[in-house]
Amino acid sequence: MGRLDGKVAIVTGAAQGIGAYYARGLAAEGAWVAIADIEPADRVVAEVKKAGGEAMSEICDVSDGAAVARFVGAVDEAYGGVDILVNNASLARMDRTPVEELSAAEWDRYFAVNVRGMVECVKAVLPIMRRKQYGKIINITSGTVWNGPPNMLHYVSTKGAILGMTRALSTELGKDGIRVNAIAPGLTSTDYIKGKNNYADYLAAIANTRSIQREEVPEDLVGACIFFASPDSDFVTGQCLVVDGGAIKH
Amino acid sequence: MGKLDGKVAIVTGAASGIGPAYAQGLAAEGAKVMIADIEPSEATVKAIRAAGGVAESRRCDVSDERQVAALIRDTEAAFGGLHILVNNAAVFARYVAVPLDQISAEDWERAFAVNVRGSFLCVKAALPIMRRQRYGKIVNIASGTVFKGVPMMLHYVSTKGAIIAMTRSMANELGRDGIRVNAIAPGLTSTEYLKGRNDIPGVLEAMAKTRAIGRQEDPQDLVGACVFFCSPDSDFITGQTLVVDGGGVMH
Repeated sequence: MGRLDGKVAIVTGAAQGIGAYYARGLAAEGAWVAIADIEPADRVVAEVKKAGGEAMSEICDVSDGAAVARFVGAVDEAYGGVDILVNNASLARMDRTPVEELSAAEWDRYFAVNVRGMVECVKAVLPIMRRKQYGKIINITSGTVWNGPPNMLHYVSTKGAILGMTRALSTELGKDGIRVNAIAPGLTSTDYIKGKNNYADYLAAIANTRSIQREEVPEDLVGACIFFASPDSDFVTGQCLVVDGGAIKH
Repeated sequence: MGKLDGKVAIVTGAASGIGPAYAQGLAAEGAKVMIADIEPSEATVKAIRAAGGVAESRRCDVSDERQVAALIRDTEAAFGGLHILVNNAAVFARYVAVPLDQISAEDWERAFAVNVRGSFLCVKAALPIMRRQRYGKIVNIASGTVFKGVPMMLHYVSTKGAIIAMTRSMANELGRDGIRVNAIAPGLTSTEYLKGRNDIPGVLEAMAKTRAIGRQEDPQDLVGACVFFCSPDSDFITGQTLVVDGGGVMH
């Protein structure tokens, strides 16, 4: 008996990285999971099914409103509703770019995917969640909003916008029984990050800034995601929980 | 199978108010619960046992170091360990409006003695056991009033601000021992006590209107967050304050 039995969850950007862990974690609690990603998520779907869960995926660019509407429609038709939306899809290339070298096109691309992509997803699931007068939306922001690391201004700015959006959405959608919260991870040792040159030292240095002095792994984030997706948090909305071993105290 | 099977928890101030909901919630997830209160807590113990859970209670003034030491000793003797401490005991949580120039120094000190020093003393006494286990979960109860700066209860609001600072500092100091420290900040909650007060007409209803989820807050609304911060699901979370108030305050 899982905490999310009978629920349908959409997780964006779950073909790999932390998103895949969210998807598997929600499925393990009984949710049927639908993955939207610009990359194929067949591997994650297969893993969920192998573990006895239910999952589907489609290629979908969250910054394309029509594509998102089609995806959400397909999920509603296949699974008969959407109860949970985890807005995880995000551009997060950790290549450092000084502000003067940031092109307007790159800036716009980050905001299109990280911020507007979330709005497109929220807009698409709203009629479905309103139907049930219940919904749980989880936006993934970032600890970088608090410590403002240099040379990734576009990324950090999108994550700050997500914090504002989480609050504004929570007041706008509360009357429909829709809760909106955010999770702010620290730098997490995904396969992508581990594959970057020079990141071993960096991950170790960040570990030293934490109360719990170790690397953050994707598994560390799953509990918070399930909490915000489950009825355990039904009177929590508009909040942001930092999950980073206590580097930032929020 | 509960999320807290095999765990031992102390919940302070669980004779009345929100505390009983925390204690019953932790017990329902399998924790053995020791309830500490200056008032008798038999009703809470009885409710937990009736639901098939395990609970004991002790009379304890958390501002008294010797009583706290006895509480921790008794808990370990009764249940063989201590994994979870919910610092819920607090005074002046009773919604009495007092202008700050009418708060006596004695009332100020009493609020800090119980709300702040009490939490500190409980943590201090629990530490040797949690360190031995290399694991512990401490949940401090702050308040949404810190974020709103609610007037006419300066002593109460100030103690709750101290608790948020304490939560952060403790997180840093105890992280290496595997001890996580987080805080819950409830909104004004419709406890039996507040519902029975006839001198504050409309206050609970008016508060409901300020929330994204426009209804009154019940003690039960806080249980999920408490269980979450006590369970392994939050093991990489420390030093954080989660506001649980239906979106009255955004934090």
